[in-house]
Amino acid sequence: MNYSALLKQLLPEAVLVITALVLLGVAVAVEAKSRKAISHRAALWIAASGVVLAGVALWGVPVTGDGGTALIVMDPLARLFKAVVLALGLLAVMLPPARREIAQPGEFYALILFALTGLLLTTGTNHLLFLFVALELASLSLYLLAGFSRTARSGEASLKYFLFGGVSAAFLLFGLSLIYGFSHAATLTGVATALGAGPPSSLAVTGLVMVVVGLGFKLAAAPFHYWAPDVYQGAPATTVALVAAASKAVGMVVLVRFLMIGFHGAAGSAAWGGVIAGWSLWMAVLAALSMVLGNVLALAQTSVRRLLAYSAVANTGYLLVALSAHGESAAGAALFYVIVYGLATLGALAVTAAVERDCGDDAPTSFAGLVHRAPWQAVALLIFLTSLAGIPPLAGFVGKFALFSTAMAESTHGGSPGLTWLVGLAAIMSAISLYYYLSILKQAFVRGGPDGEPSACEAAPLSIAHALAVGVPAVTLVVLGLFPALLLDPITAAVMDSLVMR
Amino acid sequence: MTPAWTILSAFAGAVLVLLLPARMAVTSRFIALGASLVGVVAAASSCWDRLNNPLGPVWSFDHPWISALGIRFHLAADGLSLTLLLLTGLVAVAGVLFSWNVERRPRAFFAFFMTIIGGVYGVFLSRDAFLLFVCYEIVILPKYMLIAIWGSTNKEYGAMKLTMYSIGSSALILIGLVVAYAAAGGTSFDITYLASVHYSPSLQSWAFPILFLGFAVLAGIWPFHTWAPTGHVAAPTAASMLLAGVVMKLGAYGALCVALPLFPQGFHQWQPVIAGLAVMGIVYGALTALSQKDLKFVIGYSSVSHMGFVLLGLAAGTTWGLRGAVLQMISHGIIAGLLFGIAGRVVYERTHTRDLTDLQKFDLWRTLPGAAVGFTLATAASMGLPGFSGFVAEISVAIGLWQFSPWLMPAVAFGIIVTGAFSLRALHKAFFPVRNATDAKAPALPCLTWPEISAITLLMAVSLSIGLYPKPWITLIDDGLRSPLFQSILSQP
Repeated sequence: MNYSALLKQLLPEAVLVITALVLLGVAVAVEAKSRKAISHRAALWIAASGVVLAGVALWGVPVTGDGGTALIVMDPLARLFKAVVLALGLLAVMLPPARREIAQPGEFYALILFALTGLLLTTGTNHLLFLFVALELASLSLYLLAGFSRTARSGEASLKYFLFGGVSAAFLLFGLSLIYGFSHAATLTGVATALGAGPPSSLAVTGLVMVVVGLGFKLAAAPFHYWAPDVYQGAPATTVALVAAASKAVGMVVLVRFLMIGFHGAAGSAAWGGVIAGWSLWMAVLAALSMVLGNVLALAQTSVRRLLAYSAVANTGYLLVALSAHGESAAGAALFYVIVYGLATLGALAVTAAVERDCGDDAPTSFAGLVHRAPWQAVALLIFLTSLAGIPPLAGFVGKFALFSTAMAESTHGGSPGLTWLVGLAAIMSAISLYYYLSILKQAFVRGGPDGEPSACEAAPLSIAHALAVGVPAVTLVVLGLFPALLLDPITAAVMDSLVMR
Repeated sequence: MTPAWTILSAFAGAVLVLLLPARMAVTSRFIALGASLVGVVAAASSCWDRLNNPLGPVWSFDHPWISALGIRFHLAADGLSLTLLLLTGLVAVAGVLFSWNVERRPRAFFAFFMTIIGGVYGVFLSRDAFLLFVCYEIVILPKYMLIAIWGSTNKEYGAMKLTMYSIGSSALILIGLVVAYAAAGGTSFDITYLASVHYSPSLQSWAFPILFLGFAVLAGIWPFHTWAPTGHVAAPTAASMLLAGVVMKLGAYGALCVALPLFPQGFHQWQPVIAGLAVMGIVYGALTALSQKDLKFVIGYSSVSHMGFVLLGLAAGTTWGLRGAVLQMISHGIIAGLLFGIAGRVVYERTHTRDLTDLQKFDLWRTLPGAAVGFTLATAASMGLPGFSGFVAEISVAIGLWQFSPWLMPAVAFGIIVTGAFSLRALHKAFFPVRNATDAKAPALPCLTWPEISAITLLMAVSLSIGLYPKPWITLIDDGLRSPLFQSILSQP
């Protein structure tokens, strides 16, 4: 691969980096000239236009082979998810970051662009070392971004995120080095070839366990989720949206690539009565833990952001159910669901940010009377939360249904119970989740209002960017709920093209 | 008009109501009435067409939807679906008429109301398990909102309890459907296809109870019935009518048209258990109704008892039993709608009490004779007196039960006697109290309004017409029961 071809493939990332540098330059110039930081709005729109430009650049990048190096992969899956990351990143940029204006908008949005660059690179690689470097580029930016709110909570969030993230990165790196040690290959296909020779060595198994721990942290799977509630609560809304939506989607892509290309042969089985040791079983155990812990702990939350954090843990559980089934269509359903989940959570965060601005905090009681105060926000919140709970006709419902049905179909053969235990648990946990989503909606739609208790909140109109961050996900969820094939078919095709062993 | 107009009119009504500007909020009830009327006319004309052309092909609409999972947008209307569509339409019209005086947030009220109606129509028409499940779940959120916002007596608790039961039972249905889908090869959710697959007996023996219970909870099977009385009492009148009148039928319909045909061997294995639970429901519901103080609770528990007959008919698994179950669904839908309408709207809105003792001082048969006449007739129909729909339904179920297991008859007979007792007790206490000359004079109450009179007349007339001339209904139901879905159940010894 020559340099011009490389540049062509990395054009979206290059656009992001250049925009970030321009933004930093402009911020410095403005500050030098007017002794004031660049206005928040200007920084936001520069960053947003950078992301849009990157999307345009991505449009022109063709699907190509990797030339054997596996460093920069542009298979259909990478192309699709780079677009998804840019879209989710753009929506995250549109969110108002914090209750108080942040002090350095230039640096804040430049870091977001760097984080997005890292996420894009992570999406498109089958190379172990490059994967680690790209993931760290994203993670380090996110650790910093978590601390931008200038509150004690935000600092705590940043530090916790950094410490947990550092440890998990160590696990990941150690795991990768062990995998390299046994396979003498730094690419996933090389690992698969080395594995194919015989039963997986203990070195390979240890390596994979450590990688799963590292990626489990990124995905907020229980029991590696302890950072999530504090980060969701303390970090700026923009950061949380990036972590919850874009970063989780990328984490899923990486996990899917790792397990289904690299360790295709070491899957084992988590089927009832037919357990075979392998990552399928670990995924099943992580899934069960995440669903139970996430949903049960979410029931007791008094902060909507923390509730969304536990809901993130629970939703990771549903995603891992599909991975545990070890099949292309289940992986496709999981990748569909992670997008839908990201949109719903991002939208819910956007509405929460508006409520925080109007009422000062994110307690469920602050949502009381939202339907009277800001009817469109309330309707959007209804869409987001019912989509998360899996109520039709929204995309979250189709996503969960596709997850569960493909997981069952991939895992049962000839009338065996297969993963019924896990899918059953997921269905019941998903039913329980309606309780806490509904308790927020109860505040928004039932309580308060002209004939309820008087409320101290005054709804100010949303800025254009903020309104887009609320409206676009809401409309998308409805459209994808009615016509899921629009996204499900491309994803299934991309998974078939990119993951099936060649 | 094709049956598709039922769904279209309901959802179009919901959207139109939402689009109304705030100053025209009062108009929403006219839109809702218009949409319901379109629905009922579409259902009735489709029934009429089917009666005149019973051997022709059924109306259907089949379109690919989510090809990755083998899901199609498949609607079809045989006689069975058509009768239930007509029931839904009638209850919808009556529900709008009984909600004529909703002043608080009427647009949202009627939008949620019409969404429920649309979902119910959708379930009765779906021939794809996914589509059926979608329509089934669409109903959940509007139910919650209707009860939690416009309800009375412990409304948030009642609404949440009902919603959690609904979503919990949906989870069971989801598991059952997905198991069948996976075992059938993971290619299609078409109900007829899923029913044509022969699942292994061991799979049927554990998958059937999961799927059946999921549906049966919504049909109020004992001991998972407790959401029904609390939910019905907390709900506003129209929502009680819908819940008892049609939403509980969704569960029964799902059990009949999905759970039984998919796993017939599992059904035969579990038949005695279902029959036992159904009889428990009949007797327990009736006995509990006998000791209630709140008029709506009496009706709520009587619903549990009456739905027991539906489940009993299903459990019998013979043509008579299934026919009786569907007849009872229709009959109870009409009668429960009527009883809740009179108790919740006509009486409660005037007296502001539903307590049977407090109601005595209103001397309702003098002060509100129209309501008393309506309630008396409805009670008679509810007790299953000949000439009303309840009689036809219960006698069919009884014949079906006789073919299946005569030993359960004494318990059912006892349940019927207790039904008579609690119905008469409630009627007597609420409407025909014993009064002494020394009692204070009963306060004058406003007369019945035209929406109330027309709703009562409509439902009463339908119940009487089924009771006096059930033939068209039975013809339509038998048309549905001839579908290949039921052959594996009905052909068994």
